[in-house]
Amino acid sequence: MAAITLIEAVNLAMAHEMGVDKDVVLLGEDVGANGGVFRATDGLQEKFGKERVIDTPLAESMIAGVSIGMAAQGLKPVAEIQFMGFIFPAVDQIICHAARMRHRTRGRLHLPMVIRAPFGGGIHAPEHHSESTEAIFAHIPGLKVVIPSNPSRAYGLMLAAIRDPDPVIFLEPKRVYRIEKHEIEDNGEEYPLGVCFVDREGTDITLISWGAMLHETKQAAEKLAQAGISAEVIDVATVSPLDIDTILESVEKTGRACIVQEAPKAGALGSEIAAEIAEKGVMNLLAPIGRVSGYDTVMPYYRLEKQYMPKVEHIVEEAKRIVEYR
Amino acid sequence: MKLFNLPDLGEGLPDAEIVRWLVKEGDKVALDQPMVEMETAKAVVEVPSPYDGTITKLCGQPGDVIDVGAILVEFDGDGSSAAAPVATQPTSEQKTAPQAPAGVTVASGDVFKLPDLGEGLPDAEIVRWLVKEGDTLALDQPMVEMETAKAVVEVPSPFAAKVAKLYGQPGDVIEVGAPLVSFGEGGASVAVAEPETMPVEEKSGDAGTVVGAVQVGNQVVAESASAVIKALAKKLKVDLNQVTGTGANGAITQADVKQAKKDGKLVGTATVSAAAPAPVEAPVGDENPLDFKASPAVRAHARRLGVALSGCRASGKKGSITKADVDAAVGSSAPVARPASAPASGGGLPTVQVSVEPQSVRGVRRAMAMGMAKSHATVVPTTLMEDADITSWPKQDSLARYVRALVYAAKIEPALNCWFDGEKFERLVHPGVHVGIAVDSPDGLYVPVVHDADKKDAIAVRARVQELRQKIESKSLKQEDQQGATVTLSNFGSIAGRYGTPVVSPPQVAILGTGRFRDELRLTDKGISKRKMLPLSLTFDHRACTGGEAARFLAAVIEDLQKAM
Repeated sequence: MAAITLIEAVNLAMAHEMGVDKDVVLLGEDVGANGGVFRATDGLQEKFGKERVIDTPLAESMIAGVSIGMAAQGLKPVAEIQFMGFIFPAVDQIICHAARMRHRTRGRLHLPMVIRAPFGGGIHAPEHHSESTEAIFAHIPGLKVVIPSNPSRAYGLMLAAIRDPDPVIFLEPKRVYRIEKHEIEDNGEEYPLGVCFVDREGTDITLISWGAMLHETKQAAEKLAQAGISAEVIDVATVSPLDIDTILESVEKTGRACIVQEAPKAGALGSEIAAEIAEKGVMNLLAPIGRVSGYDTVMPYYRLEKQYMPKVEHIVEEAKRIVEYR
Repeated sequence: MKLFNLPDLGEGLPDAEIVRWLVKEGDKVALDQPMVEMETAKAVVEVPSPYDGTITKLCGQPGDVIDVGAILVEFDGDGSSAAAPVATQPTSEQKTAPQAPAGVTVASGDVFKLPDLGEGLPDAEIVRWLVKEGDTLALDQPMVEMETAKAVVEVPSPFAAKVAKLYGQPGDVIEVGAPLVSFGEGGASVAVAEPETMPVEEKSGDAGTVVGAVQVGNQVVAESASAVIKALAKKLKVDLNQVTGTGANGAITQADVKQAKKDGKLVGTATVSAAAPAPVEAPVGDENPLDFKASPAVRAHARRLGVALSGCRASGKKGSITKADVDAAVGSSAPVARPASAPASGGGLPTVQVSVEPQSVRGVRRAMAMGMAKSHATVVPTTLMEDADITSWPKQDSLARYVRALVYAAKIEPALNCWFDGEKFERLVHPGVHVGIAVDSPDGLYVPVVHDADKKDAIAVRARVQELRQKIESKSLKQEDQQGATVTLSNFGSIAGRYGTPVVSPPQVAILGTGRFRDELRLTDKGISKRKMLPLSLTFDHRACTGGEAARFLAAVIEDLQKAM
């Protein structure tokens, strides 16, 4: 059992599923001969051939459209959009076709497809590569949006995404692609979609996060523990459909909630989670819901990137403010 | 030796690829002579020389990707420098001091970068260099004292070698990862061991043709198996209490949960309910706010009224406590004084919360507040203070004497026995004297009036005062008992206080405060003698009276008070 990174886990899961299911095909820019800009598909073309690992032109709309066609006809395409910032030409295909095909055909067609995209900031990439726009897709009914936070979850959730009968947007937090390793047994065991993972149990405040920010959030929980504050940490993982029940159960226990997201604050997923807590959990709240976010601005160039990214201290500060709220 | 680091070639791109060297090692180059063609993600750029000098080393081959800030060219030290090299900012992808095996010879130009001096602090200040350029150092020999935000630390030499260059002067702040010392040729050396807390950062050879720099860590972290099992059980609605683990050490596996789903071990199906969770142990006398469902507004309302949620019915939806429940609980439950509770943040003094709630101010106390505020807003108060010698007094009711003195003074100086209207600029000098007497009560300040004091003898005054006191006690004081005062007396000295600044009650223009009398040694015609002195404080409204009028009034008061009878 090898210790592997998140990006290697993505590769491992795709390789596993390609090995057991001949319908699984990969396509995208540079996924074949090059092995993907981040090496997500490294070695897969060699292993499974050019018919199943397909280098495409630089045409994201086509990548999504071809995937829809493949999926409608029984294949299980896993398409890579090289960076989340390049996904927008494909949005028409994703929203206007992929998301609603099952509904539009009254269930006669469904699309077992995955669209992968590295997203988020923190790697000194140009600003257009670094945004966290998961809320755009989380808003669209008919799409599942999944964001793994660690290698094991990347492996388990990727398997689940490929096996899911409907479209899954699989967003990979590239900042943590290689930040740590997990020992992963390549046993093909998927993780459940549509549920949160409670990564740390606590009694004073619930910290809710996903993707790369889980790392800062966990460190914040550790610092809070040193300050005598017991924080529960929830990895949302599937940001749509949202498992609000796990979050509400936690808030019922702690009475306080703080949402940590890299995305800008306004109209983001954190807003939806806060609204759900307010609607359904207000009777348990001892303090206003807090949010630690990026700023409501275009992602800055990388010299200011650090200023943009929420930091451990921000989370600790906000959590303390909430816990000490009277 | 001089180092030239790859500057930002535009657009903030993090690195660039060497296309072609235009010079070779040993070449003499002039300032601004092109040295190399570099390709960024956007363009091919010629990089000019920052110095006149001789190139000693080219760092990299065509095709190599050089990080911005990494060393590109080394120059002979004699070159007369022109433009300073572009400041290098350490980037996260820069290699930290590599862990070289023991015994490696230091290559000329090895640069020692400031390591993390502990606690992850981002930089440190040079306090004092302990070595100088040209010195030959032994391994671990202290080179420099650095002050971090936490402490002053001696940084030891990582090599046995000769110091080529010291970066920075005492007082300079060096960022972690920035060059601190470069070494020339030396003997055997041992690389400094990286502090273990420092994340190992290295450029993976397999990072792909990536824009940007992905941080790489080699730490192996364990997945939280229980989080995964719980999430799966949640999704499948499986009651984990009914699941027997078959994994290592009886751990529940995903397969166990899936099997339990097939076996129908779902939430809510347990025949014997799982043991109720142990109640959270709360300090005695404190209630756990999470035991009650209530909206934040209701909680705030309960806190304001000093009502414990435990004393409230929960008539709302899903057993929540409503505002009406809290209101209903007022009076029926004793207000809960919350014990001092330590804040969750720990450290420092505990915060103390007590359920002292503001009371609404009504009735007499409210009238006092409004009257005082009005006085403060309109009257121009001036206070005169003086003592009266009352040694000659027989034992008697002093209050009646004070009233008599006011009546007397009002006759001598009517300007203070008067009402004044500051808006219309009218004043009404009263022919009669109606003395208001300030009376302190638990309800607040009453000022009942001894009407026609100028027509009453001491006995009648005393009788009236007695009557008023009884009325206050029995709360039967009438409106007319409190109206019409032309001047007021405040006998605070019956409690304590020598002088004061009594507050004039408009439209009146004067109030006399009588303090606590005392024995005093006084110099008199007959020498030093013990006298009984009564301190007086007369406040008057300077809009209505002159200082002279007030002083004459006070003099008359004293004159009357100093009479034996």
